[in-house]
Amino acid sequence: MLYCGNLLLLGVVVGTAAVAANPSPFYAALGLVTVAAMGCGFIMCSGGTFLCLILFLIYLGGMLVVFAYSVALCADPFPTGLAEGSVAKYMAGYLLLTGGAAQCTTLAPPFWWSVGQEADMSAMQGEAEGVSEAYGGGGIILISCAWALLVALYVALEVSRGSSRGPVRPIK
Amino acid sequence: MSPYVLVLLLFTLGLGTTLAFVSSHWLLAWVGLEINTLAILPLMVRNHHPRAVEAATKYFLIQAGGAAVLLFAGVTNAWLTGQWGIQQATSPIFIGVISIALALKLGLAPLHSWMPEVFQGLDLNTGLVLATWQKLAPLALLFQIQPANSPLLIFLGLASTLIGGWGGLNQTQLRKILAYSSIAQLGWVVLVVQFSPSLATLAVLVYIVAAAATFIILKLVKSTNINMLAVSWAKSPALVAMAPLVFLSLAGLPPLTGFMPKWLIIEELSKQGLGPAATLAVLTALLSLYYYLRITYAMTLTMFPNNFSGVPPWRLRPLQLTFPLACLVTGTISVLPLTPAAIALVAL
Repeated sequence: MLYCGNLLLLGVVVGTAAVAANPSPFYAALGLVTVAAMGCGFIMCSGGTFLCLILFLIYLGGMLVVFAYSVALCADPFPTGLAEGSVAKYMAGYLLLTGGAAQCTTLAPPFWWSVGQEADMSAMQGEAEGVSEAYGGGGIILISCAWALLVALYVALEVSRGSSRGPVRPIK
Repeated sequence: MSPYVLVLLLFTLGLGTTLAFVSSHWLLAWVGLEINTLAILPLMVRNHHPRAVEAATKYFLIQAGGAAVLLFAGVTNAWLTGQWGIQQATSPIFIGVISIALALKLGLAPLHSWMPEVFQGLDLNTGLVLATWQKLAPLALLFQIQPANSPLLIFLGLASTLIGGWGGLNQTQLRKILAYSSIAQLGWVVLVVQFSPSLATLAVLVYIVAAAATFIILKLVKSTNINMLAVSWAKSPALVAMAPLVFLSLAGLPPLTGFMPKWLIIEELSKQGLGPAATLAVLTALLSLYYYLRITYAMTLTMFPNNFSGVPPWRLRPLQLTFPLACLVTGTISVLPLTPAAIALVAL
C-alpha cells in the first residue's frame, strides 16, 4: 500500500514536470491527465473515494476535454513532442531540481492523513452532503458557477476566433 | 462580434460585480471576481489586433494571479478560524494578504506595472470599462474587510499617488496617462478606506464620473496621443472648451468637483493624526496636476500651426450618445457646492 502510494506520487511529480516542460498544449494536457489520474489514485488510497470520483468526472471529463478542443481551435500542426531534445532536457532539469529538493527536506509522508471526515465509516459523508447542499441551499452559487462555465466557453471561442487567420495562432 | 455574445458578456460583467457586492462568503466573492475577469476578455480582443490580444493576456494573468491569492487567503482563513465571512476577518496577516491581492487587481503601486501597458493596448471604450466598472468589485471587497490601523494600506495609497503622478509625467500617449491617473486616484481611495469608508466611497464615485467623462471626451475627438489633441479643437469646439475643466477636476482643483474628495480626505487624515501622510499625498498630487495641465495646454489653451487641410471638418451628428457625456461633464465640473449633501449620502 505504501509502495503503491509512493508510485502514484512519483507519477504526479513526473507528470507535473512534463506539464511544465512542454511547449505544446497537447502534450501538456497529456501530462495533466497523468497528474490527475495519479493524484486521483493517491487520494483514493487515503480514503477520499468521492473526491477522486469527482476529480475524474469533472476535471478530466469536463474541464480537460473542453480545454483540449479549445486548444485544437488554434492548433499547432506540428507540435513539439516529449522525445525532442529541447523538451527532454528541461524535463530532466525539473526532475533533478525536485529530487534535490526532496533530498534536502525531511517531510513525513502524509500517508496517515485521511481525506474527508471518516470517509468510509459513516453513512453521511461530508463531500456528498456538500454537493447536495450546493443544489439546495446554495442556489445562487450553483447557478452562477454554471453560468460562468458557459461564459468561459463563449470566451474561449471568441478569443480564438479566426483560427489560423486570427492573432492567436501558432507561429514557428 | 455577434450581438447575442455581446449581450451575454455585458450581462456577465454585471453579474460578476453584483456577486462581489452581495456576497458575504469568500468563495462567492472569488466567483464574482473571476466572472468579471472572464467576461471582459473577449471585449478586449474584439478587434483581434495582436496588441489588444497582448493586453488581454497580460490583464488575464494579473487578475487570475490576484484572484488566486485572494482564494488562498480566504481558504487559509477558513482553515484557521473555521468561518468564511468576509466581514468577520480580523487577523492582521490575513487582512494584509487580502489587501495585497486586491491591490494587484486594482493596479495600486507597487503592483501597478501592468496598468499602462494594458490600457495602451485597448480602445477607449474598453479602457473606460476597465477603468471604472472593473474597479468596483475589488473595491467593494476592500471596503468590507475593515482594516484597522494598517500601515500597509497607507503605504499602498502613498506609493500609488506618488507613482501615479511621477510615472505619468513622461507619457505622450493618452491611454497611458489615464492609466497613471487611475493609479493615483485609487491611491487616494486606499489612503482613507480604513478611517472612513464613506469618504472612500465618495472618492470612488467622483473618480468614476470624472474618468468616464475623460474617456468619452477623448473618444469623441478621436485622440489617443497629445499630438492628436492639438487638432481636436476643430472637431468639437464646445466640448474641447469644457475638457480642461474635466481634466483639472481630476487633478483636484477647486472649485471643481474633484476637489471635494481630496479636501475631505486630507481633513480626515489630519484628524487621525497623519499630517505627514496628508502632506505627502497633496505634494504627489502636484505631479499629476502637471500632466493634466499639459493635456489642457495642448487641447485648448494653444492653437498649433496647421495647414489648410486642418480647417474645421464637417461636424456631423455624432454616432455616439452624447447625453451621458453631458451628465458626466456636469457632474465633474459643478457638484462641489453639493458637498454637504454628498457627505450625507455616502455616510448612509
